[in-house]
Amino acid sequence: MKPARFDYVRAESIAHAVEALAGAGGDGKVLAGGQSLMPMMNFRLVKPSVLVDINRIPDLDRITLEAGTLRLGALVRHRMTAEDVLVARHIPVLHAAMKHVAHLTVRNRGTFCGSVCHADPAAEMPMMTLLLDGTIHIASPRGTRTMPARDFLIGSLATALEPDEMVTAVDLAIPADGTGWAFEEFSRRHGDYALAAVAVLMERRDGRARNVRIAMMGIADTALRLSDVEAALEGREGTAEAFDEVVARLKASLAPNSDLNASADYRRHLAGALARRALADAWDRAREAHMEPA
Amino acid sequence: MTAFDASVEMRPKLVGQRIKRTEDPRLLTGSGRYVDDMNPQGVLHVALLRSDQPHARIRSIDVGEAFAVPGVVAIFDAGDIAGDFKPAIPTSRMKGYYATPFRPLAEGKVRYVGEPVVAVVAESRYAAEDALELISIDYEPLPVAVSKDEAAVDGAPLLHEEAGTNVIISRTFARGDVDAVIAAAPVVVKGRFRMTRKTPMPMETRSYLAEWDRRRQALTLHSSTNIPGIICDVLGTCLDLPGNRIRVVAPDVGGSFGGKGSLNHEEMLVCVLARKLERPVKFVADRMEDLTAMSQAFDETIEAELAVDADGHLLGLKADVIGDIGAYSIYPWTGALEPVQVVSFLPGPYRMEHYRGRVRGVLTPKPPTGPYRGVGRPSSTFAMERLMDMAARKLGMDPAEIRRRNLVTAEEFPYRTGSGIIWDRSAFQECLQGVCDLVDYPALVRQRDAARAEGRWVGIGFASYAELTGIGSRIAVAPGMPINTGTETASIRIDATGAVTAAFGISSHGQGLETTLAQVVADELGCRMEDIEIQHGDSALVPMGTGTYASRSAVLGGGAATKTARVVKTKVLKAAAFLMDVPAEDLEAEGGVIRARSSNATMTFREVAHAVYAQMGRIPHEQREDLVGSESYDPYLGTACASTHLAMVEIDPATFAVTVTRFAVAEDCGRIINPLIVDGQVHGAVAQGIGAALLEEVVHDDGGQLLTASLADYLVPIASTMPQIEILHVEAELPNNIGGFRGMGEGGTIGAPAAIANAVSDALAPLGIEVDTLPVAPDRLFRLVQAARASASG
Repeated sequence: MKPARFDYVRAESIAHAVEALAGAGGDGKVLAGGQSLMPMMNFRLVKPSVLVDINRIPDLDRITLEAGTLRLGALVRHRMTAEDVLVARHIPVLHAAMKHVAHLTVRNRGTFCGSVCHADPAAEMPMMTLLLDGTIHIASPRGTRTMPARDFLIGSLATALEPDEMVTAVDLAIPADGTGWAFEEFSRRHGDYALAAVAVLMERRDGRARNVRIAMMGIADTALRLSDVEAALEGREGTAEAFDEVVARLKASLAPNSDLNASADYRRHLAGALARRALADAWDRAREAHMEPA
Repeated sequence: MTAFDASVEMRPKLVGQRIKRTEDPRLLTGSGRYVDDMNPQGVLHVALLRSDQPHARIRSIDVGEAFAVPGVVAIFDAGDIAGDFKPAIPTSRMKGYYATPFRPLAEGKVRYVGEPVVAVVAESRYAAEDALELISIDYEPLPVAVSKDEAAVDGAPLLHEEAGTNVIISRTFARGDVDAVIAAAPVVVKGRFRMTRKTPMPMETRSYLAEWDRRRQALTLHSSTNIPGIICDVLGTCLDLPGNRIRVVAPDVGGSFGGKGSLNHEEMLVCVLARKLERPVKFVADRMEDLTAMSQAFDETIEAELAVDADGHLLGLKADVIGDIGAYSIYPWTGALEPVQVVSFLPGPYRMEHYRGRVRGVLTPKPPTGPYRGVGRPSSTFAMERLMDMAARKLGMDPAEIRRRNLVTAEEFPYRTGSGIIWDRSAFQECLQGVCDLVDYPALVRQRDAARAEGRWVGIGFASYAELTGIGSRIAVAPGMPINTGTETASIRIDATGAVTAAFGISSHGQGLETTLAQVVADELGCRMEDIEIQHGDSALVPMGTGTYASRSAVLGGGAATKTARVVKTKVLKAAAFLMDVPAEDLEAEGGVIRARSSNATMTFREVAHAVYAQMGRIPHEQREDLVGSESYDPYLGTACASTHLAMVEIDPATFAVTVTRFAVAEDCGRIINPLIVDGQVHGAVAQGIGAALLEEVVHDDGGQLLTASLADYLVPIASTMPQIEILHVEAELPNNIGGFRGMGEGGTIGAPAAIANAVSDALAPLGIEVDTLPVAPDRLFRLVQAARASASG
């Protein structure tokens, strides 16, 4: 478990980093926290020719409040996200999710953006980015661009990032005031990759669920927004019957894989059980808001 | 007891004190020295190309451009080293047994995924691994019988053709007429219990460094082993080196749990290569290699049937055990170690006349099984304690009560079990009662019943067991094994500064023996603990030494320490008597000071030692003796260590996760040398047992490929998995050995899996579920509950 030979570039700026990536002939890799990359290199599952270390680039380790969004820079560690006051105040569902993220040493180094780029189907960050209608900020020698998370995350360990591009930040949309939220996850041990997880946001207007957002992971090749299920609950009263019906629909729509820790049947059961808890919790947390006159 | 000994008895003892481990300052500040910390000049590193086939003939090996990789020094396959060693043969006197030869590299064919085939030696491990990528092996796949059941049938593909069968171990233990008893019994319960395969998972991976001394034509192996004496003896034979030209040293060793307690392919390999290349050669396993190829554990299926009378008294037990021993019979313990102990310990700590236990050990294309903390008894206790609860449930009897009725009582000791084990007096009953009192069992039952009334899945489980520890020469640690595990030697020397050096053949690798043996020596000798250095883990220290395993080191090492310290003390007092001009009988020693009872005269150990060694003519030569001693100890039989564990669990009906909400242990380990260390051993072993019960499982697929090759897939317990562990030490009657110690480092792994299996079964009792396979992973529980609900509604 020793990596193959690679060159190492310590980038001083974003421009420097993307220039080094562009010069790597298509197989450069960005090193931020390295919590997924280094094990993969040690297993020789990836053999980058150049490792571009962005840890010394200034100002990337910030969480900032922009208009209606929180911006998480490329060097924001899981530990920072977990402890950040802006996150706790504006996006409590993310604050809750962070309690489930990995083990102490991984949280100290691993980054939010790195996890989104790694696109592991059983990691929390891609799922939360989808839930929060995230926007990915991307830099390359050709300039900068942004992309919605749903277009960025294209499959298991696969994103729309080009070889000469790096993610500089992720924007997460701040949910409307009074939005109910819930996060449920199950793993064999605390901090492990999830067997399944679900996150829910919903508003409550005139006794009905509005703007329902449901994201899940561990049940497919990639984290998912369950738009059919969201639509099925939209505008309904948050009754036990409604939730049961929605969960039944959710379970029927899933085709999870079997693996070492979970058979497909168990995983479907688990997804349903977690979703049922999350829907009820989110509904209970939602504060009644009245329609503003248009 | 003489007056001299009485004076020893009167003063405050170190034995029995909660003394912090003297090892810890160096280990916790990073000043420990492990094999991987050693980098002699010119050291070469080995990386191995391991088999990706479960069973295949090696047609050819193509090294391609591997020699061109910068830093590569040499590449070897079995043919290249064929004349450099003799294979190790794990012999045994068992009938019908076949000893599979054990070699550094696979010869002719491979027998499990992960078996070493080609060794690359390079200036760095990086270069060696670069070269591995360029080497290819052409295999002719051979038929495989991956599961033990397939491998055991006639006509199954043979792993070792010379054996003529895959079933190389077959034994039966019997007493009475169990078939008749079962046929006539009012209550019979049975099950098919499976303890799945585990890996020992020490934090430090296996590490070996061999150095060849060209001047002396001598070999030194630094090894992360816990049996340096045994490894030295076998390698001396394999490499044809006399004992004064081979030495095996175990420096700081980061745990073993059994995984470093056998001979390893890589351990032989570095020795062969160091001599061949005349350069230091090092191999340090990475985590994947340890998960793939370190000796593994358990993997038995136990079909057992228990007969009880209407009052819950045990009548008879019969069991058919099949053990998956992997591809090789391990050196020196053989593949019989684990499965045979299952049938010898299956009758447990209970009074029961009729027994028949039959066991077969089957070769399969997987890593060899070997020692694992608890050996055999975690499996046997799991099966027996499940049967006890099943019988109690059938009778409507409380699980504590059925145990109380059957545990051997004080007046029945020594008690011979149906398999022939003799239990000496130990606190069987007292531990059961003790744990019930400790947790207030009736209150716990009310708590469970209240939770159950709310529809929650809460359960309580017991596990009572006894193990045999501190075994002397009368009993082989593994059946029919030709090495001596029953003797232990200590060698104590006081030098001219008064410092005490006590050397042993044991090999502490986490047990804190440097602390506990120093406590024993200080008490016996009357010196200060800080003046003692305990040496261990080096084959050159004493003439007879094997290592630390089988819960022997406190009993055997402590006994040898006591005997030797007494000899040395006699010499110290004799010299002091001459120097102080008083009779030796008038002297006592404490805290490094020798005092005359009849006067105020005192001398320190340092003063006496200086007079003996450094002051010319101070003591006439004919009265002068070096302050040294070396004695060996053999406890002849062994002594029982008994315990009852209690677990309370709650199962989440949504996720099927099991949470251990309460865990208590009452155990009798005789006289306690250091309660802090005993508590630590219980905590660690219970954690390991909880891992075995809830998390850990080595999985090979139907093609013999390992699916759990990383710590993301092989789950070990972590801090958040662990409950508070409550411990009660029960000291009934001291065993009949020097010191009155019982071995206790393994017990937690024996009791915890069974207690948790029983607690989970109790929690699911409303559904009629009986757990028969460990670990009870959420998916396994989900399927059990689905099946129970389906049969209830269908």
